[in-house]
Amino acid sequence: MNLEYNITYAAKNTYENEASGALWQFLIIPETNETQELISDDFSNSLQIPVEHSINGYNFKTYRIRPGQSFEIIEFTANFKVVKKIKNIFEQVSQLYSKEEYNQLRSIDFRAENDVFLRFTDLTSLPGKVDFKFDENISLFDNLQNLNAWIKKEFTFKTNVTDIDTDLSHILEIKQGVCQDFTHLFIAIAKKYGIPSRYVSGYLHQGNGYFGDSQMHAWVECCLPESGWIGFDPTNNLIAAENHIKVAHGKDYNDCPPIKGIVFSSGKNETEYNVKVLAQQQQ
Amino acid sequence: MSHNSENPTFKSYNRDPGLYDEIFDENDNVRETYKTLFDLYSEHSAKDFGRLNDKAKASFFNQGITFQVYGDHEIKEKIFPFDLFPRIIDAEEWEVIEKGVLQRSIALNAFLWDLYHDKNIIKEGIVPLDLISSSVNYLDQMNGFDPPGGIYNHISGTDLIKHSDGRYYVLEDNIRCPSGVSYVVCNRTALKRALFGVFNHYQAYTVTNYAENLLEMLQSVKPKGVDIPNCVVITPGIYNSAYYEHSYLAKAMGVELVEGRDLFVENDFVYMKTINGPVKVDVIYRRIDDQFIDPLEFKPDSSLGVPGLMASYKKGNVCLVNAPGTGVADDKAIYTYMPQIIKYYLEEEPILNNVPTYHCSRPDELKYVLENVANLVIKPVDEAGGYGISIGNRLSPEEIEEVKKTIQESPRKYIAQPIMSLSVHPTYIEDSECFEPRHVDLRTFTLLGSDKNFVLKGGLTRVALKKGNLIVNSSQGGGSKDTWVLKKNQ
Repeated sequence: MNLEYNITYAAKNTYENEASGALWQFLIIPETNETQELISDDFSNSLQIPVEHSINGYNFKTYRIRPGQSFEIIEFTANFKVVKKIKNIFEQVSQLYSKEEYNQLRSIDFRAENDVFLRFTDLTSLPGKVDFKFDENISLFDNLQNLNAWIKKEFTFKTNVTDIDTDLSHILEIKQGVCQDFTHLFIAIAKKYGIPSRYVSGYLHQGNGYFGDSQMHAWVECCLPESGWIGFDPTNNLIAAENHIKVAHGKDYNDCPPIKGIVFSSGKNETEYNVKVLAQQQQ
Repeated sequence: MSHNSENPTFKSYNRDPGLYDEIFDENDNVRETYKTLFDLYSEHSAKDFGRLNDKAKASFFNQGITFQVYGDHEIKEKIFPFDLFPRIIDAEEWEVIEKGVLQRSIALNAFLWDLYHDKNIIKEGIVPLDLISSSVNYLDQMNGFDPPGGIYNHISGTDLIKHSDGRYYVLEDNIRCPSGVSYVVCNRTALKRALFGVFNHYQAYTVTNYAENLLEMLQSVKPKGVDIPNCVVITPGIYNSAYYEHSYLAKAMGVELVEGRDLFVENDFVYMKTINGPVKVDVIYRRIDDQFIDPLEFKPDSSLGVPGLMASYKKGNVCLVNAPGTGVADDKAIYTYMPQIIKYYLEEEPILNNVPTYHCSRPDELKYVLENVANLVIKPVDEAGGYGISIGNRLSPEEIEEVKKTIQESPRKYIAQPIMSLSVHPTYIEDSECFEPRHVDLRTFTLLGSDKNFVLKGGLTRVALKKGNLIVNSSQGGGSKDTWVLKKNQ
């Protein structure tokens, strides 16, 4: 069985002083992978500037816009149709404890292969001790499930208390934050135990009362030696599955912000955006 | 020892028996290679050299052959002092150097390919993973990417010294944006202008063919489907210390010198703005560091690069020279693994020696370093241009304690090497109006293209003008000499 999604991404940039030129790159296009397929995409803007299709540094598809004219306000709208497979993730995952899995995790081959996602970045560095410990007597997957539950239990979803530069020491202190923060925290702890982990940017199917459904969402993918990459959503204590539509991944938020821009303008600017995800079951 | 009787300009030349003197042997006889030169120089008076020296200086300044020194407060524009006594390397000696630097460049290229693909050298435990994963110069964006022609370090600058044992040692490999080649050419021009009669007595290889070889190399790594590639040199601009070189190379190759704002990217192709409209660019010799080449992908506040350049590169529409991410392999900590790296990829013994090196990241070696700071040179692994180097025997006890503290704070950042005694070479000293021995090194320039390699027969001999100084970098007040590589059978 499949789910069909209609996703709308809308953004509006306002500049206090007229901007004389710009280049924006949008990293908002759902990728096509084993569990999802991008059926159609459409991107338009209020200035009718032609859209270029490009990639980011990690080969994820992007849109680019380069207005030649001056502007104060520009609006962008994107529509995507995605088919998502409903798949039982537990069929992919080895839940049984095995010492071999831990050995593989520590092997030089595995670490060299996944080195990029084992490095600590500024946003995924732990300031000191955290009250979460791995239990080496249970499977890696179970440990990550516990970590997922621990974050959900200990931290409260709250907007406007953190921003994209907030480091983990602050999150750990106030015990509040948004999906980016919880994702960074999860990544930092998982990496500490040698599990390659990456930041995923994407859309969450709304309407189920989950947090993070009117904005772009963030979750984690961890690479387990016997199961491959598996998604964990610590904001909602979920395994990322049919409700999670992936756009891109990177080491942390800085590798996958939905919009990057270089704008020739002075003064303040404001960006507003929102996301809608509508689902429909397919036979 | 005085050579007063033969040559008045050598009256204050005191050979230090502890050092390798390039023109006098251990019995104070002029070495064979230098005999003709020495005799010819004897015909000139100290006054003549004073005049020639002034002329050469004025000529460099008038031509704008200058560089800038970055200090704490002000930026100074200086000429790179040119010395009147050329360095001569005979054919036999050169053959070893040429083979050796080429071997290193090829091995480094294979190493970079491996680091950005299968990482076999790490999996086999030859180079430790930590060294790579802690390197800020490893670019994830290059992971799994095949650069055009399979080349990463198209241009390598290898720094060599001649130790007191008379053998060459490699001090470092520069494979990001090695500079200095323009001075090689300028020094030749200046020397010929000042002392043509002398140059004429030797059969030395030309150095002016560098630019044509550089251009051929750039053209050889053109993107697929391009017949005659449009190559450009991109510079950070007139305030860069090597701006003269950027402009020289562009002019000598007959290609455009551009800044970031002269280029733009459309649909993943790179264009140059011209008065006749956009012109597509295929190969970019970039003299801008990785972190500044594309604000969309790297430092977002950099205005030196071109937004979108990295995507054009990754789509194969433009070639960047050198490839982004080469810095991971010219890290001074990687340097110490060069003998193993050469053996691993080429199954050859290294032709040139490496200076023994202690890694402060290894506890045993750290202990040795801390106990022997006074006999070692301490270098930060990730700084270029001679910044941050401490030479143990020049430090006061307080300074030694300070250096120890700095090392202990971040051991991974430092390596230490025995104090190598660079060879000395007669150098005209303005104050004494005489030639005096000064320490020299040699930077060679190697090009790797997709179909041919080239080593410039010559190089930049840098000289530390301050007496006893071992740091020859131009940013630290060094000068340079014309360097003659002799043809066989003279």
